Amino acid sequence: MLLDFDRLGPWKWVLITITTLVCLFLLLPIVFIAALSFGSSQWLIFPPPGWTTRWYGELFADPRWLQSAFTSLKIAAIVTVLSVGIGFLAALSLNRGSFAGREVLRALFLTPMILPVVVLAVALYAFFLRIGLNGTTLGFIIAHLLIALPFSIISIGSALEGFDKSIEDAAILCGASPWEARLRVTVPAISHGLFGAAVFSFLASWDEVVLAIFMASPTLQTLPVKIWATLRQDLTPVIAAASTLLILFTMLLMIIAALVRRGSKQGTKP
Amino acid sequence: MTSAFIEIRDIKKQYGPITAVKDVTLDIRKGEFMTFLGPSGSGKSTTLYMLAGFEYPTAGDIRLNGRTLLDTPSHKRNIGMVFQRYTLFPHLTVGENVAFPLRIRRLPKADVERKVREALRLVRLEGFEDRKPALMSGGQQQRVALARALVYDPPVLLMDEPLSALDKKLREEIQFEIRRIHQETGVTILYVTHDQEEALRLSDRIAVFSQGKIDQIGSGQTLYAEPATRFVAGFIGDSNFIDTDVVSVEGSHATLALPGGRTVSGVPLHSAGPGKTAALLLRPERIDLKVGEAGAADALSGTIRDITFLGNNTDVLVDIPAGKQLSVRLPFGHPMLDGLRPALPVALSFNPATVHAFQG
Repeated sequence: MLLDFDRLGPWKWVLITITTLVCLFLLLPIVFIAALSFGSSQWLIFPPPGWTTRWYGELFADPRWLQSAFTSLKIAAIVTVLSVGIGFLAALSLNRGSFAGREVLRALFLTPMILPVVVLAVALYAFFLRIGLNGTTLGFIIAHLLIALPFSIISIGSALEGFDKSIEDAAILCGASPWEARLRVTVPAISHGLFGAAVFSFLASWDEVVLAIFMASPTLQTLPVKIWATLRQDLTPVIAAASTLLILFTMLLMIIAALVRRGSKQGTKP
Repeated sequence: MTSAFIEIRDIKKQYGPITAVKDVTLDIRKGEFMTFLGPSGSGKSTTLYMLAGFEYPTAGDIRLNGRTLLDTPSHKRNIGMVFQRYTLFPHLTVGENVAFPLRIRRLPKADVERKVREALRLVRLEGFEDRKPALMSGGQQQRVALARALVYDPPVLLMDEPLSALDKKLREEIQFEIRRIHQETGVTILYVTHDQEEALRLSDRIAVFSQGKIDQIGSGQTLYAEPATRFVAGFIGDSNFIDTDVVSVEGSHATLALPGGRTVSGVPLHSAGPGKTAALLLRPERIDLKVGEAGAADALSGTIRDITFLGNNTDVLVDIPAGKQLSVRLPFGHPMLDGLRPALPVALSFNPATVHAFQG
């Protein structure tokens, strides 16, 4: 290899230093938040003067926090199911279809990724105002589905790309109807892509804040919105506790995703 | 033909302005091993895919046992197929792959197990039930695919270049297996290949495809000895073509003027047009070679350019008049071989009744 680590000589240490700094830059804010959530000061002082789990107690004692976490979970779960389902159908037609305007449609599906979220949020807000969807669960789901769908289409699309359609044809000649073949053969064969789509869709909704702020009402708030709103009212370490749990949950999902991906690779390669 | 099991009638396949298959008509008997042979793009695979139902003919009809197949969707045609690429279901084991068509048909569990065992025994892969496809070689995967295509006793088995991804030795081994399986099961097989040797080795009859139509249908021997078109003559076996002038035509035979001025008469002539020239087909192993100047009975004179030893045969390349070259094949141990040297003058002759000329 051109850049062989063992042959870098003194440059090795430069590389190690830069790598360490980048890692610290990425990780320190998380460590900082986690430390604050266990700090005894109620003014978010760093380093914390003492240690306590009091803020976690307050967090779990407040029904509004639990309520918003449940709302987040519910919306993210529904968005995940819809995003994977619609994403599978969309990816299937983008991958297999030979209709006019296929590339235009593909680009259209991916625009929510490029469009500034705040632009999307304002547009949705104005539109939902007319049809009365602001502050409703359905409004949340539609908004989050918009930003989750591109992840699904990309993930499932690339899995389909690597799946030979002849395998599906073989299943059809074996007697399976086209949809039976897709469900019993194609879906299991691209399960890693579907799982990736599910994780990314869930996370896209779970930690989304901009659209959520526009969609939210005082009675319907997701966890990120609750954190945001609380942050503006009073700067309590409960926010740090909530944020830490949010991060932990996200990390857990990513770890599961990585494990599943490794498992599916071992299944297909000797 | 009334005994035809599969009847393909004037089928045509049009992709926009391109005609992939033109008016192909073909009868296949029950239990026959029929091969579609041709170069890529000759329409052989498209014809097979129309039988499978993945392509729909623009015109024409395909009948199985006297009933049209065209209004039956692929999954209800009850046809087996082995594809060019590996198509085992990656998430299922070998046993589950072979069981798949039976489970779709909701066969009782005991029957499924028995039939899977039988099918795997047929392809000599007993004991591989629990293996995942990814852990098997290409040859083994295609044998599992064969077991999966045969496990539900389809009346017809389609094979689309199933061995093209395998190396030569393995290919010959599996060709032998396919022949044995054909004999054991009696299934009607339609086999697509571009490899003439494979076609000759496996088939009862071969349909030679060229540019979307069938040039000739016949046994390997017929195609080799009596090619109907210049394309078939060139595609099956090794061949020399030399340009000749048509001197006169007597019914289906002709008198031709060869390079160098001599004429031969009584050559079977296949006319594709009214041209004044004809391409004369001379098989390298059917040309008689003599050292020395050409006598009255010889057809061509030439000089040896090159001699290539090929094991069981030796190829002698001979320069003939009009700047052409002819390859002559002599078997190993031929008494004349020792006397041959480059630049030696030689005389060539052949039996006019056993060669063919293609006018056009």
